[in-house]
Amino acid sequence: MSDIGMILQRLGNTLVTGVAPKLEGDYAAGHAMMTGVMAVMAGEAWDNAADRLVNEIAGMRGLLALAGKNVTVAKSESVKISDLTAERDELARYLITLQMSLEAREDQEAKDLNAKIWMHLMGTAMARMPSPPEFPDADEA
Amino acid sequence: MLEEELAAKFAAYAEARLPGAKNARVESIKRIHGGASRQTYSIDLAYEDATGPKVKGLILRRDPPDSLIDTERRIEYAAIKSAYGQRDLPVPEALFLETDPAALGAPFFVMGRIEKGDPVNPFKIEDIEPHRAEIGKQFFQHLGSIAALPVEGSALAEETEIPAADACWRRELNYWANEIRSNAKDPQPVAEAAIRHLERNPPPPAQRLSIVHGDYRTGNYLQDGEGTMTAILDWEMAHIGDPYEDLAWATDLLWCGNDQERAAGLLPWPEAIATWQEASGCTFDPAAFEWWSLFAHVKALGIWVTSEKAYAAGDNDDPILAWSGWFTHAAHELMLAMRLGPKYGAGA
Repeated sequence: MSDIGMILQRLGNTLVTGVAPKLEGDYAAGHAMMTGVMAVMAGEAWDNAADRLVNEIAGMRGLLALAGKNVTVAKSESVKISDLTAERDELARYLITLQMSLEAREDQEAKDLNAKIWMHLMGTAMARMPSPPEFPDADEA
Repeated sequence: MLEEELAAKFAAYAEARLPGAKNARVESIKRIHGGASRQTYSIDLAYEDATGPKVKGLILRRDPPDSLIDTERRIEYAAIKSAYGQRDLPVPEALFLETDPAALGAPFFVMGRIEKGDPVNPFKIEDIEPHRAEIGKQFFQHLGSIAALPVEGSALAEETEIPAADACWRRELNYWANEIRSNAKDPQPVAEAAIRHLERNPPPPAQRLSIVHGDYRTGNYLQDGEGTMTAILDWEMAHIGDPYEDLAWATDLLWCGNDQERAAGLLPWPEAIATWQEASGCTFDPAAFEWWSLFAHVKALGIWVTSEKAYAAGDNDDPILAWSGWFTHAAHELMLAMRLGPKYGAGA
């Protein structure tokens, strides 16, 4: 099995440094540049996607359990990205509802759990952030 | 529609509307990348009138099947008309507005082309050197000048509602919250929490009602490489509201090239704020700025989820929409989480 992440990154580099410069002045140059940049990003995301989703799911299940919520979200039958995403999305709806209920309370227990939810959201947002794109210098493009 | 067909139809359309014009033809037409909210073409139109042959440089902005921002072209047209020729603002001349799709297959408007200048990639803002400070000064001066434009009697005021000073924030927040909820393909816990936070902690009323550009930032102006901003573009999100909306959007972290020491990555914060205050006549209020700055992240998420939906639907293949739905969405979600989390005890 080929290294898909590597292939995507190489394809992206080819588009950015090989194809886009040859299209300079044409409308398609911008498309080639953006497509190449995102192919590189996709290579990175391909490797991380399942791990990131499993972590998001575990984090939300833990928070909902801390709140004593009896959620009925079934565990994914596979680790396909689409199945994990569906499970993650269903849990996220429960999390939004939980956070709204905590915000309506003034007690310390609610504030502590809300802080934990924010810690989870901060960690999730960091994990979702792709590496900054590398646009070529103007004289290279 | 092929570009040859578009050119022929455009020439006929323009000839009918330019006073005394005859023998109009498109000498060149070139689609410009970016500006995914409109299909944008640069056109050289040759024609003759009573004074002899002429070639006019024009920009045609035609509605695409789908776009980053769902706006009416008449709003953009009216906003450009409202700013053109005012307070030294470098704004193109608005020439034609056509809402009937029969002419060119979709509604469009036409403006004069500003011949000198290139956009700056906000992710490579260092390319602006050695003119960063000069451009920065003009950037905040023009931003303040837009805030100081007269609202009453403007072309934009004829096309949009004028909110009460204490209702600007609510109208904008409701609009963008609805965009997020209507268009996001998956749950948005960070955006939802941010919307609730902003509702619970409203900003002070607007100090004045202003023309708000709506997308004033690096990437949406041209500069000539010699230290002059030559054009302010992309007025499609213009409206009347609180000038802090533009100040916060213009200085959003996404557009500053990771340079938090300089406002918009261009000018030291105290100088930027002083320039904006002087030009706008507003007084800087940290509380108002904090609210509108957080709101800018939410507004951005509204744009990004809408662009992602448009790309996924297959109506528009411009990869900038995919980029927006991915990288910039992740960036603004991260900014919101990192700013709001500590307010609720996370990481304390």
